[in-house]
Amino acid sequence: MSAINKSTQDIPKEIERFDITFRIQHVIMFTTFLLLSFTGWGLKYAHDPEGLSSIWIRIWGGADTAGLIHRIAGVTMLLDFIWHVIYLCYLFATKQLTFNTTTTLIPLPKDVIDIIKNFMYFFGLSKEKAKFGKFSYAQKFDYWAVFWGMFIIGSSGYALAFPMQATYLIPQFAAGWIWELLGLMHSDEALLAIVFILFWHFYNEHLRPGVFPMSWIWITGKISTEQLKHHHPLEYERLFPDEAKKDKKG
Amino acid sequence: MFQEKLFAVAAPLLFLLLMFPVSVFSEESADCISCHGSMKGRIKSQNGVLIELHVDADKFKASVHGTLTCAECHARFAGTAHASAGKSLPSNLLSLSSQLSSKFRVDAIAGAACIACHEETYQQVLSSVHGKNIIEKKQSDGALCIDCHGSPHYITKVKDGNSPMSRKYQVETCLHCHADKSIINKYNLEENVMDSFKESFHGRKLHLGHTRAPSCASCHNSHDIKTKTDPASPVFGKNKLETCGKCHKGANEKFVQAITHKRPGPIPHYGEKLLILLTIGTFAFIVLHVLLEVFADIREAVFRKKEGK
Repeated sequence: MSAINKSTQDIPKEIERFDITFRIQHVIMFTTFLLLSFTGWGLKYAHDPEGLSSIWIRIWGGADTAGLIHRIAGVTMLLDFIWHVIYLCYLFATKQLTFNTTTTLIPLPKDVIDIIKNFMYFFGLSKEKAKFGKFSYAQKFDYWAVFWGMFIIGSSGYALAFPMQATYLIPQFAAGWIWELLGLMHSDEALLAIVFILFWHFYNEHLRPGVFPMSWIWITGKISTEQLKHHHPLEYERLFPDEAKKDKKG
Repeated sequence: MFQEKLFAVAAPLLFLLLMFPVSVFSEESADCISCHGSMKGRIKSQNGVLIELHVDADKFKASVHGTLTCAECHARFAGTAHASAGKSLPSNLLSLSSQLSSKFRVDAIAGAACIACHEETYQQVLSSVHGKNIIEKKQSDGALCIDCHGSPHYITKVKDGNSPMSRKYQVETCLHCHADKSIINKYNLEENVMDSFKESFHGRKLHLGHTRAPSCASCHNSHDIKTKTDPASPVFGKNKLETCGKCHKGANEKFVQAITHKRPGPIPHYGEKLLILLTIGTFAFIVLHVLLEVFADIREAVFRKKEGK
Protein backbone atom coordinates (compact mmCIF):
# COMPACT_ATOMS: atom_id res chain seq x y z
CA MET A 1 0.00 0.00 0.00
CA SER A 2 2.86 2.32 0.80
CA ALA A 3 4.69 2.11 -2.49
CA ILE A 4 1.97 2.72 -4.96
CA ASN A 5 2.65 4.55 -8.14
CA LYS A 6 0.23 7.40 -8.30
CA SER A 7 1.21 8.61 -11.74
CA THR A 8 -1.57 8.42 -14.24
CA GLN A 9 0.75 7.12 -16.91
CA ASP A 10 1.18 3.53 -15.79
CA ILE A 11 -1.48 1.97 -13.67
CA PRO A 12 -0.10 -1.25 -12.19
CA LYS A 13 -1.91 -4.45 -13.09
CA GLU A 14 -2.19 -5.33 -9.44
CA ILE A 15 -1.55 -3.74 -6.09
CA GLU A 16 -0.50 -5.19 -2.77
CA ARG A 17 -3.39 -5.46 -0.38
CA PHE A 18 -1.82 -7.45 2.45
CA ASP A 19 1.90 -7.46 3.21
CA ILE A 20 3.80 -10.65 3.96
CA THR A 21 3.37 -10.26 7.74
CA PHE A 22 -0.41 -10.09 7.46
CA ARG A 23 -0.39 -13.08 5.12
CA ILE A 24 1.66 -15.18 7.55
CA GLN A 25 -0.62 -14.12 10.39
CA HIS A 26 -3.61 -15.21 8.30
CA VAL A 27 -2.08 -18.62 7.53
CA ILE A 28 -1.30 -19.24 11.20
CA MET A 29 -4.79 -18.07 12.12
CA PHE A 30 -6.62 -20.42 9.75
CA THR A 31 -4.33 -23.39 10.37
CA THR A 32 -4.85 -23.19 14.11
CA PHE A 33 -8.54 -22.43 13.55
CA LEU A 34 -8.99 -25.63 11.57
CA LEU A 35 -7.07 -27.73 14.10
CA LEU A 36 -9.11 -26.24 16.95
CA SER A 37 -12.38 -26.79 15.11
CA PHE A 38 -11.61 -30.39 14.22
CA THR A 39 -10.42 -31.44 17.66
CA GLY A 40 -12.98 -29.35 19.53
CA TRP A 41 -15.90 -30.64 17.48
CA GLY A 42 -15.28 -34.18 18.74
CA LEU A 43 -15.45 -32.99 22.34
CA LYS A 44 -18.49 -30.76 21.85
CA TYR A 45 -20.49 -33.60 20.34
CA ALA A 46 -18.85 -36.40 22.33
CA HIS A 47 -22.13 -38.25 22.93
CA ASP A 48 -24.11 -37.66 19.75
CA PRO A 49 -24.26 -39.15 17.28
CA GLU A 50 -23.43 -42.34 19.12
CA GLY A 51 -19.88 -43.50 18.58
CA LEU A 52 -19.02 -41.16 15.70
CA SER A 53 -17.14 -38.69 17.83
CA SER A 54 -15.06 -41.47 19.35
CA ILE A 55 -14.00 -42.57 15.86
CA TRP A 56 -13.33 -38.95 14.87
CA ILE A 57 -11.19 -38.38 17.97
CA ARG A 58 -9.28 -41.59 17.33
CA ILE A 59 -8.36 -40.19 13.89
CA TRP A 60 -6.76 -37.30 15.77
CA GLY A 61 -4.69 -39.69 17.86
CA GLY A 62 -7.08 -40.32 20.73
CA ALA A 63 -8.49 -38.02 23.35
CA ASP A 64 -5.14 -37.30 25.03
CA THR A 65 -3.43 -36.31 21.78
CA ALA A 66 -6.43 -34.40 20.48
CA GLY A 67 -6.47 -32.42 23.73
CA LEU A 68 -2.79 -31.63 23.37
CA ILE A 69 -3.24 -30.53 19.74
CA HIS A 70 -6.15 -28.33 20.84
CA ARG A 71 -4.09 -26.64 23.55
CA ILE A 72 -1.02 -26.08 21.40
CA ALA A 73 -3.15 -24.71 18.54
CA GLY A 74 -5.06 -22.49 20.96
CA VAL A 75 -1.95 -20.93 22.48
CA THR A 76 -0.45 -20.47 19.00
CA MET A 77 -3.60 -18.71 17.83
CA LEU A 78 -3.59 -16.37 20.84
CA LEU A 79 0.08 -15.55 20.23
CA ASP A 80 -0.70 -14.93 16.55
CA PHE A 81 -3.46 -12.53 17.59
CA ILE A 82 -1.17 -10.68 20.00
CA TRP A 83 1.49 -10.46 17.28
CA HIS A 84 -1.12 -8.96 14.94
CA VAL A 85 -2.12 -6.28 17.45
CA ILE A 86 1.49 -5.41 18.21
CA TYR A 87 2.28 -5.25 14.49
CA LEU A 88 -0.63 -2.85 13.94
CA CYS A 89 0.62 -0.64 16.79
CA TYR A 90 4.07 -0.69 15.22
CA LEU A 91 2.67 0.31 11.81
CA PHE A 92 0.76 3.19 13.38
CA ALA A 93 3.74 4.29 15.49
CA THR A 94 6.01 4.41 12.44
CA LYS A 95 3.36 6.20 10.36
CA GLN A 96 3.29 3.34 7.83
CA LEU A 97 -0.39 3.13 8.61
CA THR A 98 -2.54 6.19 9.11
CA PHE A 99 -6.20 6.65 9.78
CA ASN A 100 -8.26 7.37 6.70
CA THR A 101 -12.01 6.99 6.39
CA THR A 102 -11.77 5.03 3.12
CA THR A 103 -9.02 2.64 4.24
CA THR A 104 -9.88 2.05 7.86
CA LEU A 105 -11.26 -1.19 9.25
CA ILE A 106 -13.05 0.70 11.99
CA PRO A 107 -16.83 0.62 11.47
CA LEU A 108 -18.18 4.04 10.49
CA PRO A 109 -21.71 5.40 9.90
CA LYS A 110 -21.08 4.89 6.19
CA ASP A 111 -21.08 1.13 6.76
CA VAL A 112 -24.63 1.26 8.08
CA ILE A 113 -25.68 3.24 5.03
CA ASP A 114 -23.87 0.69 2.85
CA ILE A 115 -25.80 -2.16 4.45
CA ILE A 116 -29.10 -0.34 3.79
CA LYS A 117 -28.02 0.38 0.20
CA ASN A 118 -27.06 -3.25 -0.36
CA PHE A 119 -30.32 -4.57 1.05
CA MET A 120 -32.20 -2.19 -1.25
CA TYR A 121 -30.20 -3.66 -4.11
CA PHE A 122 -30.96 -7.22 -2.89
CA PHE A 123 -34.69 -6.49 -2.94
CA GLY A 124 -34.52 -4.79 -6.31
CA LEU A 125 -35.19 -1.32 -4.95
CA SER A 126 -31.89 -0.01 -6.21
CA LYS A 127 -29.88 -0.84 -9.31
CA GLU A 128 -26.49 -0.40 -7.75
CA LYS A 129 -24.61 -2.05 -4.94
CA ALA A 130 -23.01 0.12 -2.29
CA LYS A 131 -19.55 1.50 -3.18
CA PHE A 132 -16.85 0.41 -0.78
CA GLY A 133 -13.52 1.79 0.30
CA LYS A 134 -10.60 -0.49 1.01
CA PHE A 135 -12.75 -2.66 3.25
CA SER A 136 -16.46 -3.34 2.79
CA TYR A 137 -18.76 -3.67 5.79
CA ALA A 138 -18.72 -7.42 5.19
CA GLN A 139 -14.95 -7.45 5.54
CA LYS A 140 -15.07 -5.25 8.63
CA PHE A 141 -17.60 -7.62 10.16
CA ASP A 142 -15.31 -10.50 9.27
CA TYR A 143 -12.31 -8.80 10.84
CA TRP A 144 -13.94 -7.77 14.11
CA ALA A 145 -15.56 -11.17 14.48
CA VAL A 146 -12.06 -12.48 15.09
CA PHE A 147 -11.61 -9.97 17.89
CA TRP A 148 -14.91 -11.05 19.40
CA GLY A 149 -13.82 -14.67 19.09
CA MET A 150 -10.48 -13.96 20.72
CA PHE A 151 -12.21 -12.14 23.56
CA ILE A 152 -14.88 -14.78 24.23
CA ILE A 153 -13.39 -18.09 23.01
CA GLY A 154 -9.74 -17.19 23.55
CA SER A 155 -10.15 -15.98 27.13
CA SER A 156 -12.46 -18.83 28.15
CA GLY A 157 -10.20 -21.34 26.42
CA TYR A 158 -7.18 -20.01 28.24
CA ALA A 159 -9.00 -20.25 31.57
CA LEU A 160 -10.12 -23.82 30.84
CA ALA A 161 -6.69 -24.95 29.69
CA PHE A 162 -4.85 -23.31 32.59
CA PRO A 163 -7.43 -23.25 35.37
CA MET A 164 -4.94 -22.75 38.22
CA GLN A 165 -3.63 -19.55 36.64
CA ALA A 166 -7.19 -18.46 35.99
CA THR A 167 -8.12 -18.81 39.68
CA TYR A 168 -5.88 -15.83 40.46
CA LEU A 169 -7.99 -13.66 38.15
CA ILE A 170 -11.41 -15.03 39.06
CA PRO A 171 -13.09 -13.07 41.85
CA GLN A 172 -14.38 -15.05 44.82
CA PHE A 173 -18.05 -14.30 44.16
CA ALA A 174 -17.81 -15.67 40.61
CA ALA A 175 -16.08 -18.97 41.45
CA GLY A 176 -19.40 -20.76 41.93
CA TRP A 177 -20.73 -20.20 38.44
CA ILE A 178 -17.92 -18.97 36.22
CA TRP A 179 -16.57 -22.42 35.24
CA GLU A 180 -19.92 -23.52 33.92
CA LEU A 181 -20.21 -20.24 32.02
CA LEU A 182 -16.68 -20.51 30.61
CA GLY A 183 -17.42 -23.93 29.18
CA LEU A 184 -20.66 -22.74 27.61
CA MET A 185 -19.04 -19.60 26.21
CA HIS A 186 -16.20 -21.56 24.70
CA SER A 187 -18.33 -24.17 23.01
CA ASP A 188 -21.27 -22.02 21.88
CA GLU A 189 -19.15 -19.24 20.42
CA ALA A 190 -16.86 -21.77 18.75
CA LEU A 191 -19.85 -23.14 16.88
CA LEU A 192 -20.75 -19.58 15.90
CA ALA A 193 -17.21 -19.00 14.67
CA ILE A 194 -17.20 -22.17 12.55
CA VAL A 195 -20.52 -21.36 10.88
CA PHE A 196 -19.48 -17.73 10.46
CA ILE A 197 -16.30 -18.75 8.64
CA LEU A 198 -18.10 -21.33 6.51
CA PHE A 199 -20.82 -18.97 5.35
CA TRP A 200 -19.66 -15.41 5.67
CA HIS A 201 -15.92 -15.53 5.14
CA PHE A 202 -15.91 -18.30 2.56
CA TYR A 203 -18.72 -16.86 0.48
CA ASN A 204 -17.64 -13.26 0.62
CA GLU A 205 -13.93 -13.82 0.07
CA HIS A 206 -13.67 -17.00 -1.96
CA LEU A 207 -16.88 -18.43 -3.39
CA ARG A 208 -18.56 -15.30 -4.74
CA PRO A 209 -18.90 -14.96 -8.51
CA GLY A 210 -15.71 -13.63 -10.06
CA VAL A 211 -13.51 -15.03 -7.32
CA PHE A 212 -14.70 -18.65 -7.23
CA PRO A 213 -13.28 -21.11 -6.33
CA MET A 214 -10.66 -19.26 -4.34
CA SER A 215 -9.23 -15.81 -3.94
CA TRP A 216 -5.45 -15.79 -4.37
CA ILE A 217 -5.03 -12.74 -2.17
CA TRP A 218 -4.20 -14.84 0.87
CA ILE A 219 -1.15 -16.25 -0.95
CA THR A 220 0.01 -13.39 -3.18
CA GLY A 221 -1.35 -10.54 -1.10
CA LYS A 222 -2.17 -8.79 -4.37
CA ILE A 223 -5.47 -7.74 -5.89
CA SER A 224 -5.82 -6.93 -9.58
CA THR A 225 -6.58 -3.30 -10.32
CA GLU A 226 -9.64 -4.49 -12.22
CA GLN A 227 -10.98 -6.30 -9.14
CA LEU A 228 -10.14 -3.31 -6.98
CA LYS A 229 -12.06 -0.99 -9.28
CA HIS A 230 -15.04 -3.33 -9.24
CA HIS A 231 -15.20 -4.28 -5.56
CA HIS A 232 -13.53 -1.30 -3.89
CA PRO A 233 -14.28 1.70 -6.17
CA LEU A 234 -13.59 4.31 -3.50
CA GLU A 235 -10.17 2.82 -2.79
CA TYR A 236 -9.48 2.82 -6.54
CA GLU A 237 -10.45 6.49 -6.72
CA ARG A 238 -8.18 7.27 -3.79
CA LEU A 239 -5.19 5.46 -5.31
CA PHE A 240 -5.68 6.56 -8.91
CA PRO A 241 -7.66 9.82 -8.78
CA ASP A 242 -6.76 10.94 -12.29
CA GLU A 243 -7.57 7.61 -13.84
CA ALA A 244 -10.88 7.47 -11.99
CA LYS A 245 -11.81 10.90 -13.31
CA LYS A 246 -10.96 9.82 -16.83
CA ASP A 247 -13.15 6.74 -16.44
CA LYS A 248 -16.04 8.86 -15.29
CA LYS A 249 -15.73 11.18 -18.26
CA GLY A 250 -15.35 8.27 -20.65
CA MET B 1 20.45 -85.66 17.94
CA PHE B 2 17.15 -87.41 18.31
CA GLN B 3 16.56 -85.68 21.61
CA GLU B 4 17.12 -82.30 20.03
CA LYS B 5 14.64 -83.10 17.31
CA LEU B 6 12.15 -84.31 19.84
CA PHE B 7 12.57 -81.12 21.79
CA ALA B 8 12.08 -79.02 18.66
CA VAL B 9 8.75 -80.72 18.08
CA ALA B 10 7.63 -81.07 21.65
CA ALA B 11 8.38 -77.53 22.79
CA PRO B 12 5.94 -75.80 20.45
CA LEU B 13 3.39 -78.51 21.12
CA LEU B 14 3.70 -77.98 24.83
CA PHE B 15 3.40 -74.27 24.26
CA LEU B 16 0.28 -74.86 22.19
CA LEU B 17 -1.18 -76.76 25.11
CA LEU B 18 -0.98 -73.58 27.14
CA MET B 19 -3.26 -71.90 24.64
CA PHE B 20 -6.11 -74.23 25.45
CA PRO B 21 -7.60 -73.76 28.86
CA VAL B 22 -7.56 -76.93 30.82
CA SER B 23 -10.68 -77.73 32.73
CA VAL B 24 -10.21 -76.42 36.22
CA PHE B 25 -13.51 -77.52 37.70
CA SER B 26 -13.30 -79.54 40.79
CA GLU B 27 -15.30 -82.71 40.70
CA GLU B 28 -17.90 -81.14 42.93
CA SER B 29 -18.38 -78.06 40.72
CA ALA B 30 -18.60 -80.28 37.67
CA ASP B 31 -21.53 -82.01 39.30
CA CYS B 32 -23.38 -78.71 39.76
CA ILE B 33 -22.48 -77.43 36.31
CA SER B 34 -23.61 -80.65 34.65
CA CYS B 35 -27.17 -79.63 35.48
CA HIS B 36 -27.00 -75.84 35.80
CA GLY B 37 -24.91 -75.47 32.69
CA SER B 38 -27.77 -76.71 30.54
CA MET B 39 -30.71 -75.45 32.60
CA LYS B 40 -32.55 -72.44 31.22
CA GLY B 41 -34.97 -69.99 32.75
CA ARG B 42 -35.83 -69.03 36.28
CA ILE B 43 -37.56 -70.73 39.15
CA LYS B 44 -39.62 -69.27 41.92
CA SER B 45 -38.34 -69.89 45.43
CA GLN B 46 -40.59 -70.57 48.40
CA ASN B 47 -40.64 -66.89 49.35
CA GLY B 48 -41.49 -65.82 45.83
CA VAL B 49 -38.10 -64.75 44.53
CA LEU B 50 -37.12 -65.64 40.99
CA ILE B 51 -33.83 -67.49 40.81
CA GLU B 52 -31.77 -67.69 37.65
CA LEU B 53 -30.92 -71.34 37.10
CA HIS B 54 -28.45 -71.10 34.26
CA VAL B 55 -24.72 -70.87 34.87
CA ASP B 56 -22.58 -70.37 31.79
CA ALA B 57 -19.75 -72.82 32.34
CA ASP B 58 -17.29 -71.13 29.98
CA LYS B 59 -17.88 -67.65 31.33
CA PHE B 60 -17.64 -68.94 34.89
CA LYS B 61 -14.38 -70.67 34.10
CA ALA B 62 -12.98 -67.48 32.57
CA SER B 63 -14.00 -65.34 35.53
CA VAL B 64 -11.64 -64.50 38.39
CA HIS B 65 -13.54 -67.01 40.55
CA GLY B 66 -13.41 -69.81 38.00
CA THR B 67 -11.21 -71.96 40.23
CA LEU B 68 -13.52 -71.86 43.24
CA THR B 69 -15.91 -74.67 43.99
CA CYS B 70 -19.60 -73.87 44.05
CA ALA B 71 -19.95 -74.82 47.71
CA GLU B 72 -17.28 -72.37 48.76
CA CYS B 73 -19.88 -69.63 48.40
CA HIS B 74 -23.09 -71.67 48.32
CA ALA B 75 -22.15 -73.24 51.62
CA ARG B 76 -25.65 -73.88 52.86
CA PHE B 77 -29.06 -74.06 51.31
CA ALA B 78 -32.14 -73.61 53.38
CA GLY B 79 -35.53 -74.69 52.21
CA THR B 80 -34.59 -75.13 48.60
CA ALA B 81 -34.14 -77.99 46.21
CA HIS B 82 -30.71 -78.59 47.69
CA ALA B 83 -31.67 -78.43 51.36
CA SER B 84 -28.75 -79.67 53.33
CA ALA B 85 -27.84 -79.98 56.95
CA GLY B 86 -24.89 -77.79 56.23
CA LYS B 87 -21.43 -77.90 57.58
CA SER B 88 -20.37 -75.67 60.40
CA LEU B 89 -19.66 -72.18 59.13
CA PRO B 90 -17.49 -69.46 60.64
CA SER B 91 -19.44 -67.25 63.02
CA ASN B 92 -18.58 -63.99 61.27
CA LEU B 93 -20.09 -65.35 58.06
CA LEU B 94 -23.23 -66.48 59.84
CA SER B 95 -23.76 -63.18 61.63
CA LEU B 96 -23.12 -61.22 58.45
CA SER B 97 -25.55 -63.32 56.48
CA SER B 98 -28.27 -62.65 59.04
CA GLN B 99 -27.57 -58.91 58.76
CA LEU B 100 -27.97 -59.12 55.00
CA SER B 101 -31.38 -60.79 55.15
CA SER B 102 -33.13 -57.70 53.77
CA LYS B 103 -30.89 -57.78 50.72
CA PHE B 104 -30.68 -61.49 50.05
CA ARG B 105 -33.99 -63.21 50.43
CA VAL B 106 -32.73 -66.48 49.03
CA ASP B 107 -29.10 -67.28 49.70
CA ALA B 108 -27.74 -64.78 52.18
CA ILE B 109 -24.83 -67.10 52.99
CA ALA B 110 -23.58 -66.86 49.40
CA GLY B 111 -24.07 -63.09 49.51
CA ALA B 112 -21.95 -62.91 52.64
CA ALA B 113 -19.41 -65.46 51.47
CA CYS B 114 -17.28 -62.84 49.69
CA ILE B 115 -16.00 -61.84 53.13
CA ALA B 116 -14.09 -65.12 53.40
CA CYS B 117 -11.52 -63.86 50.90
CA HIS B 118 -12.26 -60.12 50.73
CA GLU B 119 -12.52 -59.37 54.45
CA GLU B 120 -11.05 -55.85 54.44
CA THR B 121 -12.97 -54.74 51.36
CA TYR B 122 -16.22 -56.15 52.65
CA GLN B 123 -15.81 -54.32 55.97
CA GLN B 124 -15.27 -51.08 54.04
CA VAL B 125 -18.47 -51.67 52.09
CA LEU B 126 -20.43 -52.41 55.26
CA SER B 127 -19.38 -49.11 56.81
CA SER B 128 -20.03 -47.20 53.56
CA VAL B 129 -23.29 -45.44 52.78
CA HIS B 130 -24.25 -48.35 50.55
CA GLY B 131 -23.58 -50.98 53.23
CA LYS B 132 -25.21 -49.05 56.08
CA ASN B 133 -28.33 -48.71 54.00
CA ILE B 134 -28.69 -52.49 54.03
CA ILE B 135 -27.47 -53.32 57.52
CA GLU B 136 -28.80 -50.36 59.50
CA LYS B 137 -31.78 -49.20 57.44
CA LYS B 138 -32.65 -52.75 56.36
CA GLN B 139 -33.29 -51.65 52.79
CA SER B 140 -33.28 -54.11 49.92
CA ASP B 141 -32.12 -51.76 47.17
CA GLY B 142 -28.76 -50.66 48.53
CA ALA B 143 -25.74 -51.64 46.45
CA LEU B 144 -23.60 -54.57 47.54
CA CYS B 145 -20.84 -56.54 45.79
CA ILE B 146 -22.78 -57.98 42.88
CA ASP B 147 -24.83 -54.84 42.17
CA CYS B 148 -21.65 -53.15 40.98
CA HIS B 149 -19.43 -56.06 39.93
CA GLY B 150 -22.13 -58.01 38.14
CA SER B 151 -23.11 -61.64 38.50
CA PRO B 152 -20.80 -63.36 41.00
CA HIS B 153 -20.25 -66.20 38.55
CA TYR B 154 -18.78 -63.97 35.85
CA ILE B 155 -16.79 -61.34 37.72
CA THR B 156 -13.77 -60.20 35.77
CA LYS B 157 -10.99 -57.85 36.81
CA VAL B 158 -11.92 -54.16 36.90
CA LYS B 159 -9.09 -53.54 34.44
CA ASP B 160 -10.78 -55.93 32.03
CA GLY B 161 -12.68 -53.80 29.55
CA ASN B 162 -15.95 -55.68 30.00
CA SER B 163 -16.22 -55.41 33.77
CA PRO B 164 -19.17 -53.26 34.83
CA MET B 165 -16.66 -51.39 37.00
CA SER B 166 -14.24 -50.76 34.12
CA ARG B 167 -13.63 -47.20 32.99
CA LYS B 168 -15.87 -47.86 30.03
CA TYR B 169 -18.93 -49.10 31.93
CA GLN B 170 -18.53 -47.69 35.43
CA VAL B 171 -20.66 -44.60 34.88
CA GLU B 172 -23.47 -46.66 33.40
CA THR B 173 -23.29 -49.08 36.32
CA CYS B 174 -23.56 -46.34 38.97
CA LEU B 175 -26.36 -44.72 36.99
CA HIS B 176 -28.51 -47.85 37.30
CA CYS B 177 -29.43 -46.44 40.68
CA HIS B 178 -28.26 -42.83 40.56
CA ALA B 179 -30.32 -41.99 37.48
CA ASP B 180 -33.33 -43.97 38.71
CA LYS B 181 -36.06 -41.50 39.62
CA SER B 182 -37.66 -43.72 42.26
CA ILE B 183 -34.35 -44.25 44.05
CA ILE B 184 -33.43 -40.57 43.71
CA ASN B 185 -36.72 -39.58 45.34
CA LYS B 186 -36.57 -42.29 47.98
CA TYR B 187 -33.11 -41.32 49.24
CA ASN B 188 -33.26 -37.64 48.30
CA LEU B 189 -30.24 -37.95 45.98
CA GLU B 190 -28.85 -35.30 43.64
CA GLU B 191 -31.08 -35.65 40.61
CA ASN B 192 -28.84 -34.18 37.92
CA VAL B 193 -25.88 -36.50 38.42
CA MET B 194 -26.10 -38.29 35.08
CA ASP B 195 -26.64 -35.24 32.88
CA SER B 196 -24.13 -33.07 34.68
CA PHE B 197 -21.39 -35.71 34.44
CA LYS B 198 -22.05 -36.59 30.81
CA GLU B 199 -22.09 -32.91 29.86
CA SER B 200 -18.96 -32.09 31.84
CA PHE B 201 -15.46 -32.08 30.38
CA HIS B 202 -14.69 -35.07 32.61
CA GLY B 203 -17.62 -37.08 31.24
CA ARG B 204 -16.96 -36.18 27.62
CA LYS B 205 -13.29 -37.04 27.85
CA LEU B 206 -14.00 -40.33 29.60
CA HIS B 207 -16.50 -41.19 26.87
CA LEU B 208 -13.92 -40.44 24.18
CA GLY B 209 -11.36 -42.67 25.86
CA HIS B 210 -9.10 -40.10 27.53
CA THR B 211 -6.72 -42.14 29.66
CA ARG B 212 -6.68 -39.77 32.63
CA ALA B 213 -10.31 -38.64 32.68
CA PRO B 214 -12.00 -39.51 35.97
CA SER B 215 -14.95 -41.83 36.40
CA CYS B 216 -17.28 -41.87 39.43
CA ALA B 217 -14.95 -43.72 41.78
CA SER B 218 -12.01 -41.43 40.99
CA CYS B 219 -13.57 -38.70 43.12
CA HIS B 220 -16.12 -40.50 45.30
CA ASN B 221 -14.04 -43.60 46.16
CA SER B 222 -15.41 -47.06 45.70
CA HIS B 223 -15.92 -49.54 48.53
CA ASP B 224 -15.82 -46.97 51.34
CA ILE B 225 -18.10 -44.50 49.57
CA LYS B 226 -19.71 -41.89 51.85
CA THR B 227 -22.47 -39.35 51.37
CA LYS B 228 -21.30 -35.86 50.50
CA THR B 229 -22.48 -34.64 53.93
CA ASP B 230 -20.19 -37.10 55.74
CA PRO B 231 -16.96 -35.33 56.80
CA ALA B 232 -15.09 -38.48 55.74
CA SER B 233 -16.31 -38.12 52.15
CA PRO B 234 -13.61 -37.11 49.66
CA VAL B 235 -16.02 -34.53 48.23
CA PHE B 236 -16.98 -33.03 51.61
CA GLY B 237 -15.95 -29.39 52.05
CA LYS B 238 -12.21 -28.93 52.18
CA ASN B 239 -11.55 -32.58 51.32
CA LYS B 240 -12.19 -31.53 47.73
CA LEU B 241 -8.86 -29.70 47.70
CA GLU B 242 -7.04 -33.00 48.13
CA THR B 243 -9.40 -34.98 45.89
CA CYS B 244 -9.23 -32.58 42.95
CA GLY B 245 -5.52 -32.15 43.67
CA LYS B 246 -4.89 -35.80 42.76
CA CYS B 247 -5.06 -34.73 39.10
CA HIS B 248 -5.11 -30.92 39.25
CA LYS B 249 -1.93 -29.98 41.06
CA GLY B 250 -2.42 -26.96 43.29
CA ALA B 251 -6.22 -27.14 43.33
CA ASN B 252 -7.50 -24.25 45.43
CA GLU B 253 -10.80 -23.04 46.88
CA LYS B 254 -11.87 -21.25 43.71
CA PHE B 255 -10.93 -24.16 41.49
CA VAL B 256 -12.75 -26.93 43.33
CA GLN B 257 -16.07 -25.18 42.85
CA ALA B 258 -15.87 -26.00 39.14
CA ILE B 259 -17.40 -29.45 39.53
CA THR B 260 -20.79 -30.03 41.08
CA HIS B 261 -23.63 -32.24 39.94
CA LYS B 262 -26.18 -29.50 40.47
CA ARG B 263 -28.11 -27.86 37.69
CA PRO B 264 -26.41 -24.72 36.32
CA GLY B 265 -27.23 -21.60 38.34
CA PRO B 266 -29.10 -18.60 36.87
CA ILE B 267 -26.01 -16.86 35.49
CA PRO B 268 -24.73 -19.73 33.34
CA HIS B 269 -28.32 -20.63 32.45
CA TYR B 270 -29.33 -17.20 31.18
CA GLY B 271 -25.81 -16.56 29.95
CA GLU B 272 -26.18 -19.52 27.64
CA LYS B 273 -29.61 -18.34 26.52
CA LEU B 274 -28.06 -14.98 25.62
CA LEU B 275 -25.24 -16.65 23.70
CA ILE B 276 -27.71 -18.83 21.82
CA LEU B 277 -29.74 -15.76 20.93
CA LEU B 278 -26.61 -14.02 19.69
CA THR B 279 -25.58 -17.10 17.70
CA ILE B 280 -29.00 -17.56 16.09
CA GLY B 281 -29.22 -13.83 15.35
CA THR B 282 -25.83 -13.86 13.64
CA PHE B 283 -26.69 -17.06 11.74
CA ALA B 284 -29.90 -15.49 10.54
CA PHE B 285 -28.17 -12.31 9.38
CA ILE B 286 -25.27 -13.94 7.56
CA VAL B 287 -27.33 -16.67 5.92
CA LEU B 288 -29.98 -14.15 4.83
CA HIS B 289 -27.32 -11.74 3.55
CA VAL B 290 -25.44 -14.40 1.59
CA LEU B 291 -28.60 -15.88 0.05
CA LEU B 292 -30.09 -12.48 -0.86
CA GLU B 293 -26.81 -11.46 -2.45
CA VAL B 294 -26.65 -14.67 -4.47
CA PHE B 295 -30.21 -14.20 -5.74
CA ALA B 296 -29.65 -10.52 -6.49
CA ASP B 297 -26.45 -11.30 -8.39
CA ILE B 298 -28.21 -13.99 -10.43
CA ARG B 299 -31.12 -11.64 -11.11
CA GLU B 300 -28.72 -8.90 -12.16
CA ALA B 301 -26.77 -11.28 -14.42
CA VAL B 302 -29.99 -12.39 -16.13
CA PHE B 303 -31.18 -8.81 -16.59
CA ARG B 304 -27.85 -7.67 -17.92
CA LYS B 305 -27.90 -10.50 -20.43
CA LYS B 306 -31.32 -9.41 -21.62
CA GLU B 307 -30.23 -5.79 -21.88
CA GLY B 308 -27.17 -6.96 -23.81
CA LYS B 309 -29.44 -8.59 -26.34
